[in-house]
Amino acid sequence: MKLLGEFIKGLWRENPTFRIVLGLCPTLAISTSVFNGIGMGVAATFVLVGSNIFVSLVRNIVPEKVRIPCYIVIIATFVTIADLIMKAYAPLLSRSLGMFVPLIVVNCIVLGRAEAFSSKEPPLKSVMDALGMGVGFTWALVLISAIREGLGNGTILGIPLSSRFDPPLFMVLAPGALLTIGLLIGAMNYFTIKKHSRD
Amino acid sequence: MDLSSYITIIISTVFINNFILSRFLGLCSFIGVSKNTGPALSMGVAVTFVTTMASIISWLVYYFILAPYHLEYLRTISFILVIASFVQFTEIVIQKRSPALYKIFGIYLPLITVNCAVFGVAILNTDVFFLGGRAVAGSFLKSTLQGFGAGLGYTLAMFLMSTIRERLEYADVPRSLKDIPITFIIASLMSMAFLGFSGFKI
Amino acid sequence: MNQLLKFGLVLGIICLVATLVLAVTHEVTKPMIDAQGRSEEEAALKQIMPDADSFNKKAADNMEYFEAVKEKNVVGYCIKATGEGYGGYIRMMIGINPDGVIKGVRILEHQETPGLGAKINEVRPGEKDAWFLRQFVGKSARTVEVRKNIDSITGATISSRGVTDAVNKTVTEFLAKIKK
Repeated sequence: MKLLGEFIKGLWRENPTFRIVLGLCPTLAISTSVFNGIGMGVAATFVLVGSNIFVSLVRNIVPEKVRIPCYIVIIATFVTIADLIMKAYAPLLSRSLGMFVPLIVVNCIVLGRAEAFSSKEPPLKSVMDALGMGVGFTWALVLISAIREGLGNGTILGIPLSSRFDPPLFMVLAPGALLTIGLLIGAMNYFTIKKHSRD
Repeated sequence: MDLSSYITIIISTVFINNFILSRFLGLCSFIGVSKNTGPALSMGVAVTFVTTMASIISWLVYYFILAPYHLEYLRTISFILVIASFVQFTEIVIQKRSPALYKIFGIYLPLITVNCAVFGVAILNTDVFFLGGRAVAGSFLKSTLQGFGAGLGYTLAMFLMSTIRERLEYADVPRSLKDIPITFIIASLMSMAFLGFSGFKI
Repeated sequence: MNQLLKFGLVLGIICLVATLVLAVTHEVTKPMIDAQGRSEEEAALKQIMPDADSFNKKAADNMEYFEAVKEKNVVGYCIKATGEGYGGYIRMMIGINPDGVIKGVRILEHQETPGLGAKINEVRPGEKDAWFLRQFVGKSARTVEVRKNIDSITGATISSRGVTDAVNKTVTEFLAKIKK
């Protein structure tokens, strides 16, 4: 039951994108299509789970002072593995994510979880935490990219929504991304405030 | 190579492909440190220094070690290590040599290691200025300029945002939009203004 | 000092293991990644020159190109080119006949903005090839220019010009090289 709790908190209460507001560079840059959003989410989840297991395993061996470089090496290894696998099996996805795959290394969510959670907790708990964060990140990405692709390109996963609607292009461009995330976080705050004032 | 192509790199990284407003690199610190002009500018200067140096160092690593021995797949791991060590080293040197400078820039240095802008510019340089493992003409200078331009663009966006946010203190923002959401919405408007640069003929 | 040694040792071991793991992954995935690139190239070649029997890979200085052969006659060339777009480089394959008339252009790789620059490679529903690239077919490569005989994509002048200029420049250089 406790393990499940570690998983669930990443979905909403400690959602990395909307609540902690971390890992924004990839979120905004690649959320131009739902396809990209799912791909990025899966890649980041793989890196999160893989690196969190290893960080947790070596947590008692690594000296305090060199822990950050060690974590970075572990994370970079998993990022490169994800990058190579994607290039070999999903070249289209790898193309459209481009340089944002190697950039998972500096995604604050991954290092943040390594530092804040798995460096202190046993592997099984760390896996659940990483999975929760990964899934939380993925759904946030899918939501943002669905809004942007739907409004900006008039399609979801490449399927046209309506022929009558002339999509405002600016939603798939940079300003649309910033506006979407700003309003989404605002909306989440609104509901949180409302809930609290009712309690 | 002619001079104009080098000037183009600077102009395009500062305005057209501004690192924050159009490539979304370095967004975390953009939201986090842009509340007041002073710290925002300090952060900008520190980032500019590191992006420039990181471009130079990563170019050297790529050109002399990774590309000739076909070790391109070690790019991510080697770049992040080199950048992290460089930042750490700079921090120690500044702390020892100039405590006054350390007071201004010191606290931002650890933040910079995981700043997407720094790592991003290193990756972008090798993506753009190396084709099929071979360096394009003038790639060293171009990489350095792109690193410098990226930092300049970052500083510009930071400065503009911090001046707006200082004024925002007196504005009546809806409670749920306070702080982070309104910052994003402003960034969106700024980014739209910067889109205008993409029509430039250069 | 002793402590420093321990730090170095731990970090060194982790780096060593990481590099080993990556080297193995690289070896395993490399043939597939190479095959992906090759099959992409072959597909582009076949699309550009469907009637050629075989393609011979050649290189002139820094230029990689393919000689299209049909019944032992060279019927054209396919040249790999790189143009500068909005989001980075655009890699493409250009097919010409020996006189420099374009037989077809295919984009191999690009990082242009979806909905804008990415339209250089957009295929409209019910059509077989990208509408922007179709404009090039039948024109002399040395004359193509945006706004003159190539219509630019709305809102994506940089990408349109990137492709067009690369076609013009690469073919001009290429023809000068093989004429020598």
